[in-house]
Amino acid sequence: MSVGRVASRLGWLVLGCATMSGFLLAHAQSADAQTTGAPPKKKKPKATPSASVAPPEPPAAEPPPPAAEPPPPPVEAEKKPDDPAKEKKKDDEKPKESNVSARVGTEMGAYTDTERVTVFTPSIYGAVYNPTGGWSVSGSYLVDVVSAASADIVSTASPRYEEVRHAGGLAGEYKPGDLGANVYASVSREPDYLAYTIGGASTYDIFEKNASILLGYTYGHDIAGKNSTPFEVFSRPVDTNTFKLGLSYVLNRRALLTFIYDTILQTGDTSKPYRFVPMFGPGVDVKPGLSVQHVNEIRLPERASEHVPGSRNRYAFSMGFANRFESATLRIDERLYTDSWGIKATTTDIRFLADLGQRITLGPHVRLHAQTPVNFWQRAYVSKGVEDLPTLRTGDRELGPLTSVSGGTYLRVYVGGSGDPHKVGLGLDTYVTYTSYPDDIYIQSRLAALGAFTLEVNF
Amino acid sequence: MKALEPGLVPAAFLVALSLLASGCVHVASYERGILAHPTMTSGDLAGPSEAHVRAVHEGAVGGGASAESGCGCN
Repeated sequence: MSVGRVASRLGWLVLGCATMSGFLLAHAQSADAQTTGAPPKKKKPKATPSASVAPPEPPAAEPPPPAAEPPPPPVEAEKKPDDPAKEKKKDDEKPKESNVSARVGTEMGAYTDTERVTVFTPSIYGAVYNPTGGWSVSGSYLVDVVSAASADIVSTASPRYEEVRHAGGLAGEYKPGDLGANVYASVSREPDYLAYTIGGASTYDIFEKNASILLGYTYGHDIAGKNSTPFEVFSRPVDTNTFKLGLSYVLNRRALLTFIYDTILQTGDTSKPYRFVPMFGPGVDVKPGLSVQHVNEIRLPERASEHVPGSRNRYAFSMGFANRFESATLRIDERLYTDSWGIKATTTDIRFLADLGQRITLGPHVRLHAQTPVNFWQRAYVSKGVEDLPTLRTGDRELGPLTSVSGGTYLRVYVGGSGDPHKVGLGLDTYVTYTSYPDDIYIQSRLAALGAFTLEVNF
Repeated sequence: MKALEPGLVPAAFLVALSLLASGCVHVASYERGILAHPTMTSGDLAGPSEAHVRAVHEGAVGGGASAESGCGCN
């Protein structure tokens, strides 16, 4: 597929997203609110190092000035105090300002790439929160409509397939003081895959709220199956335990620094039941980037299913820096990753978000990712026959060496009233990724494009 | 990458904590209004679609402030 066709298809998909979103009454944008229900932008300045790690702390109130000596009231003006019961009734009749706020939203995402994969992802979410009470409740739901036929699946003569994934999540947070906690649960369901996740985290502010420590744990239980086959007949459970340690720190009045360390312990067979790995006889010259037809001509007749190790320990350490300038924000995130399968990876993510007046935020986004392959990666697995298959084998190009460069834009237009423009926001995110696979048997590169339209309403 | 060895990371955290505690400016709560700007959140600014694309395209996971769950996407 040519780059022009990808761009054309993306344009139509984004246009469809925008049209559909006009019929929805919600919005979806802020990732921190989705996970933590952070208070809206124009509340009292909240100044903890991490919005998601620590809820807002109201500014310290200045002590009231000493009361002046009241002049003696004139005798004529002296009145008997009203009946306390009547006073209470008057107070009850006064309209009280609620501290509870809400936010709802939607995002319509559309993805396509040069491997003829298209994904349409509408999603909605909502949050109810009380900034002064320190609590929030949020929920989200999304649908992935995937149409795909990747090269390695085509090679097994499987037809192009379409699949729908549903995913929903609930989260709650309570942080009345320095100590806080949040819990969350999510479910993801597609015809051949079911995933449950539950977890929680605790945060504790230190150094007079100049730093915040995060301790979290997540348990995930996945069941991988086969399409049109009940889980009772075929299923592969995968359990995942994630331990998270985080630290956020206020560097100065304009800058934040965040560290996150994850240990992810995964057990279970994650081999893809649909993925077959071509085998080649000794001495066969297999260059990268061959066509499916060519591979079928030179490979051995046996079809070996993918087989990867039954457990995987993954470690990720990330550092984030955010600095707010007069009317712009710079965000730099770096993640280092390694796992027991041998992958070592680095991911750098940079955003610059400039305020163009009160109603527009616009900026570029760049992301770089590079990784080494798993230690059992081979472009062409060699076999002498069915009895001589390599024990570990994969055709997953995301387990091979790759480098990807992504660029995109972040645009938010706030169309609320003059008193509070941020009450209603429209957003458009674009994201184009070029990935190089220097050692993949079928493809050597992939160009992908994503467009996402968001609508956001605060109450 | 050797710095990622599991046993070294908690130690690195403690060192970072010590350095930060001693080397940074103390900012009072009433001075942090700028830090409350929505673009300064420690959460990811990526929406669910972009996050999903990353999960499929990259062989690495983790490092985010929020939970990540399986989707069988790869």
